Amino acid sequence: MKYADVLDKTTPATTTVSKRAGVSDLPAAGEPFLWGMGGALVVGLMMIAGFLVLVFWNGITTFIPKPIEVVTLASGEVVAGEPYRSESYRVGSDKIKGLGPDIQKKIAANDGFAMRTLYRTGNYDLYGDDFRWVSDYEITKAARPVEMVFIERLEWGAFIGSITSLSVDGKNIPADQLSPQQLTQFLEDARGRWNKIRRIERIEIGNINHEIEGERLRLKRVAIDKGVDSPAFKAVEAEVEAGSAALQHAYEKLAAEATETRTADANFTITLREIGGREKTLRLSEIVRLYHANDLGTVEWLGIYLSRWAEFLTDEPREANTEGGVLPAIFGTFAMTVLMAVLVAPFGVVTALYLREYAKQGRLVSIVRISVNNLAGVPSIVYGVFGLGFFAYIMGASIDQLFYPERLPNPTFGTGGLLWSSLTLALLTVPVVIVATEEAISAVPRSMREGSLACGASKWQTIRNIVLPRAMPGILTGLILAMARGAGEVAPLMLVGVVKLAPELPIDGYFPFIHLERSFMHLGFHIYDVGFQSRNSEAGKPMVFVTTLLLIGLIFVMNITAIVVRNRLKQRFAGSKF
Amino acid sequence: MSTKTAAPPVLPAAMGKRRDRTTRKSVVVKDKIADWTITIGGMAVILAVAGIMVFLLQVVVPLFTGGTVGARSSYALPHTSQRAVATLVDEYKAIATMVMADGKIVTFHAPTGKGLQAPAFDFGGESATAFGSTLDHADVAFGFADGSVRFGELKMVARVIPEVDIPSGLTRIDDRDSTDGRSIYRRLPGNQARVSSVEVTLEDPQNISDQGSAIVALDYRVSGGANAGVKSFVTVDAGGVVRLTRAESKRNMLTGKSRTVIETSLLPSLPQGTQVERVILTERADQVFAVSGNTIFRYDTRNFETPVLAETARVLPEGVKVTAFGFLIGEQSIVVGGSNGAVDVYFRLPRPNALGSDGYELVAAHRLEPQSGAVVGVSASLRGKTFATLDDRGNVWLRHSTSEQTLIRFDRKNEQPDTVALAPRANGILALEQGRAATLLDFDVPHPETTLATVFGKAWYEGYDGPTYTWQSSSGTDSFEPKFSLIPLIFGTIKATFYSLLFAVPIALLGAIYTSEFLDGRVRAVVKPAMEMMASLPSVVLGFIAALILAPIVETWIGALILAFVLIPLALVAGAYLWQLLPLDQANRLAGVPKLGFQFAQVAVTMFLSYSIAPQFETVFFGGDFKNWINGQSGNSAPFLFLALLPVSFGAVAWIISRFYGERIEALMLSRDKTGAAMLDLGRWGVILVGSLVLAFALAQGLAALGIDARGGVIDTYVQRNTLVVGFAMGFAVIPLIYTLADDALTAVPEHLRAASLACGATPWQTSIRIILPTAISGVFAAIMIGMGRAVGETMIVVMAAGNTALIDWNLFNGLRALSANIAVELPEAVKDDTLYRVLFLAALTLFAMTFVINTVAEVIRQRFRKRSVQL
Repeated sequence: MKYADVLDKTTPATTTVSKRAGVSDLPAAGEPFLWGMGGALVVGLMMIAGFLVLVFWNGITTFIPKPIEVVTLASGEVVAGEPYRSESYRVGSDKIKGLGPDIQKKIAANDGFAMRTLYRTGNYDLYGDDFRWVSDYEITKAARPVEMVFIERLEWGAFIGSITSLSVDGKNIPADQLSPQQLTQFLEDARGRWNKIRRIERIEIGNINHEIEGERLRLKRVAIDKGVDSPAFKAVEAEVEAGSAALQHAYEKLAAEATETRTADANFTITLREIGGREKTLRLSEIVRLYHANDLGTVEWLGIYLSRWAEFLTDEPREANTEGGVLPAIFGTFAMTVLMAVLVAPFGVVTALYLREYAKQGRLVSIVRISVNNLAGVPSIVYGVFGLGFFAYIMGASIDQLFYPERLPNPTFGTGGLLWSSLTLALLTVPVVIVATEEAISAVPRSMREGSLACGASKWQTIRNIVLPRAMPGILTGLILAMARGAGEVAPLMLVGVVKLAPELPIDGYFPFIHLERSFMHLGFHIYDVGFQSRNSEAGKPMVFVTTLLLIGLIFVMNITAIVVRNRLKQRFAGSKF
Repeated sequence: MSTKTAAPPVLPAAMGKRRDRTTRKSVVVKDKIADWTITIGGMAVILAVAGIMVFLLQVVVPLFTGGTVGARSSYALPHTSQRAVATLVDEYKAIATMVMADGKIVTFHAPTGKGLQAPAFDFGGESATAFGSTLDHADVAFGFADGSVRFGELKMVARVIPEVDIPSGLTRIDDRDSTDGRSIYRRLPGNQARVSSVEVTLEDPQNISDQGSAIVALDYRVSGGANAGVKSFVTVDAGGVVRLTRAESKRNMLTGKSRTVIETSLLPSLPQGTQVERVILTERADQVFAVSGNTIFRYDTRNFETPVLAETARVLPEGVKVTAFGFLIGEQSIVVGGSNGAVDVYFRLPRPNALGSDGYELVAAHRLEPQSGAVVGVSASLRGKTFATLDDRGNVWLRHSTSEQTLIRFDRKNEQPDTVALAPRANGILALEQGRAATLLDFDVPHPETTLATVFGKAWYEGYDGPTYTWQSSSGTDSFEPKFSLIPLIFGTIKATFYSLLFAVPIALLGAIYTSEFLDGRVRAVVKPAMEMMASLPSVVLGFIAALILAPIVETWIGALILAFVLIPLALVAGAYLWQLLPLDQANRLAGVPKLGFQFAQVAVTMFLSYSIAPQFETVFFGGDFKNWINGQSGNSAPFLFLALLPVSFGAVAWIISRFYGERIEALMLSRDKTGAAMLDLGRWGVILVGSLVLAFALAQGLAALGIDARGGVIDTYVQRNTLVVGFAMGFAVIPLIYTLADDALTAVPEHLRAASLACGATPWQTSIRIILPTAISGVFAAIMIGMGRAVGETMIVVMAAGNTALIDWNLFNGLRALSANIAVELPEAVKDDTLYRVLFLAALTLFAMTFVINTVAEVIRQRFRKRSVQL
């Protein structure tokens, strides 16, 4: 640009008179300072590049099935696990003393550093730990035996070991007589049984519980409205009692069915042996995924990788959120963001219209503008505090007293929830929409407005038919940017409705289908929770990385959409000026 | 939209008809509605900002207002003429009790004084000469003239029953309460009632004083669980003998029988003629305080067999007597009331050269506002450090020890009160006049512990060496005193902001100048969005990466990091001098992307170099391990001082050379061709570098020899989640913001200024630094302010990466606790309208105010900049 151009043009001149004294005035060119500035820019760019590479690399490689290495240590101990990562570390001085002389020499030659590898050993139920550091100098032998299997379980995390035998309906099948197809078939059957039990317990029994709760609340409501002695109450009471007998019956039937399936399921077990020789018997239905990690073909490998992604995107979390999927969090983030957009759009657009089209440009407008700027600058956590104190504790509590007296003292709207979270974030993001809308409105040429008014259209008709349609792409851009900002915000949500594990989604099959009062899960909070609140942050890390990838991906897609929309808008206006 | 209001006016006019000019009604109505809605919407934004502020204020204000005084009822009491030895009110202010010296108990309905029947302590006709009890008065002890002591229990029993279980035939007392003659039945919401009554038990007498001399002062404590109770009591008899007795009952788990072991220890005798008036002991019976005149005698009884008289403290001036004396909850603070009206709070603190022989000393931590008459009564709350004092003129003041404020003054005239009892929840006071009449005062003081001084100033908390700024909002025990000073949190916010700006501002500003003034348009079109993309990274992600990935790496490679901070600038400058060696045409040809590429390579190579020689660097500079060094375990201060002094000495040497040889070198350079001049320049730089190395080394050795240590202060003990990591992570959030806004401000400088400067022969560097930057400076400054606003309010990064320790120190390698993080961590647990809840709202308000000021300043500066750039 500017200087490059200028210099290019002057180059011939300078070379011809290169003996001119001024040319060698090096301090004037400030080269060292330029390099300092360039270096600063480079550092900034490297930060963003490094960050993205870190997140993408870790996020994408997390679900890759890794081989299982069996290493024999100098102490005679055998460790089996997925090599997780390696690093160079400084060996503690007390540790060095206990080592052999040649190892000591090696470490000393390396300035006191040595390499070590973190193995994911699994088997938390047997060892109380699922990771183990092994220093390179400890290893005497490393192998990758074919028979090692990697098993993801519903409980206790991964199991690493080998299959001893299978018990199918009381029949024992040793591992060497078991074909892979058979094993797959058994596992699939077990999965089917497990899904059946889950369906009965979660959905069918859940339905009955929901009905019983509804009846109970109905009765309580009548008691509050009409009094315990009123005939209306007596009538409802009789009705409820009759109904509950039927429900109780249905419940017992389902419970019996579930127990029966469970008992049948207990006959299908697998016996495993970990590398230290200890045996462990599991029900087949407890196994989520089983593979021979050191004996994978490309297709199998890809299948496992993809099935893990599928599980992540479509399943519910397990094991204190460190395994399984994040569907409720995706759903919660989505519902909250959409609701926020619905709330923020009218408010932002109306304010922008006021500023641009209605208000006289005077002191009042400048106060509104300063207010908007301040709203944009207020820390998000302050909105959270406001949301909790005002929306949940004051507005919510009043709503509870008016409409849900039968549920008190349990709060319905009087605590954090989807609606309050969306409202809080709407307040947080409204400046983004206002500023974007204002820009878009001011970009609509004055001539078009005047033309419309001259044709006799009223002010609102002009806005409705001329200004808003042309400003729409700009407004959408603002809205998308607001959604991107809202989707990434966590701090205020921690106060107004996000929870680590929400038992029910905010949208389900029960009337009124959208439950604005329910607390929900959120991808951003999921990252915080799994990374910081789980039993073992190392075990949670892969999940956090994948969730991070998902969240950043979501936000980048929104941002890029906004940029594309903005560019389209610019093109359109470039052509439509008159 | 389908309302075609008017056809072109030409037509009807031409036809000679009058046109119908009325607009359709629906259009007018819609227009009006739109007018109103939109105007209201616009106003709503102002309301929202004001509303947030007002709402936060409204929640916060009750922290600093005193209490509200409620109903006050006075009444005469039935049939008694004696002085009460103890007076108490139950938790719900339903029932009040006086214990008389002869063991009789007068019980009455607290709000009205209606008498109730009550059991009595049966002393067999004798009268107690001394009385002692635990702080809640539930366990009582009486001393008698024959030297014996009897223990008892005085229980205020309250249980909740359903409405249907209320017996019939109750006498109504007032609209809430009724009685069956013994108990008070109070109706509760939800069809329930609470029954309050008094129950007593009395044990057999135990002989304590062997000569049978009368007990004159007594205190009593019970500790331990249900199966193994320890009763401790201290007695003073008429002969001046002080005894500490411990009765330990153990229940045999097999037989169920309990066995009591009684041990008595004679405390060292007091000076001749000392008349002990009061004596108190702590719950664990490790300290005994006896009062005589203006003196407190403190016994250290931690060793039961060999108690010592540890300290004799004169707490009041000569001639003034201690007239009221008692513990506050927690039994560390002692309230001392004097006959001159003084009310002081003492606690025992370890002190060098302490007066006490055990290394402790009674320190007057709080001197509260004196009362006009002699203080005759003290009653402590069972929740917090609130207590009531009564003077001989009948004035009752409610006070708080830590905040030193007088919450409520309850001034009365011409009455002769002798006892005062504070309700356990510190929401009511019962004052008695010679057992003849009583007054119950209701009040509500929800936040006695907070004043502006305790929240924003230093407060002297129990057990602390002196007044401190402390934030510690909760703990496991009941007697814990929450400490709500916002100063450590405000400090944490400032510290995080300062260090992150220290890192972010140079990178963002230098990068912005380079982008706007020296980068090719096409490159800029890529670079700027890339940097802006950084702004959209969610801060929870930044926090996670910082805390779980970066913090361990930084901890391991801290040496490499320090080295990189030194080497990268050096390498870049060296690169620049080498670049100057290029012939001008080549330099111009490579000026765009290739140059940036070189810089990129240089930074990358230097980083790798730092990484690979870090172990050697640590060995040479920090004696092998940086963390050991920084904890002061190894090495001396010289190497670090050398690094820190390097920039200073570089500046000094550069100044000296340009001051004395500058003109000569410049003349020399001008006489050569470009390459020659560049060689000369490189040589000069080399000389400055070597010179500054030598100078820095000499200075560092000198300072180290003088005993100056860089450790302590900015550089101190290393913690994994520290400010360095926070500053780096916050850089991701702040750099793009400052960068974009500064770049916008720089590009907004009119092109003709740039062109004019270049046309006058200025180099691009001179133009950018002398023309563009000064013109855009206010815009750039506003950019920094906005970045600062963001750093102040950032939450998730500090929650996750800062360690959340509320300390006041500038140590770069230690953590911090910021206002925002504190709110995020503690508010979900806070109870609505609790003190903590309101203090956290105050924290939010403080944050709001900080960002409000920063943003408004930025906005004002930006508007001025806009005006100026329009004028240009």
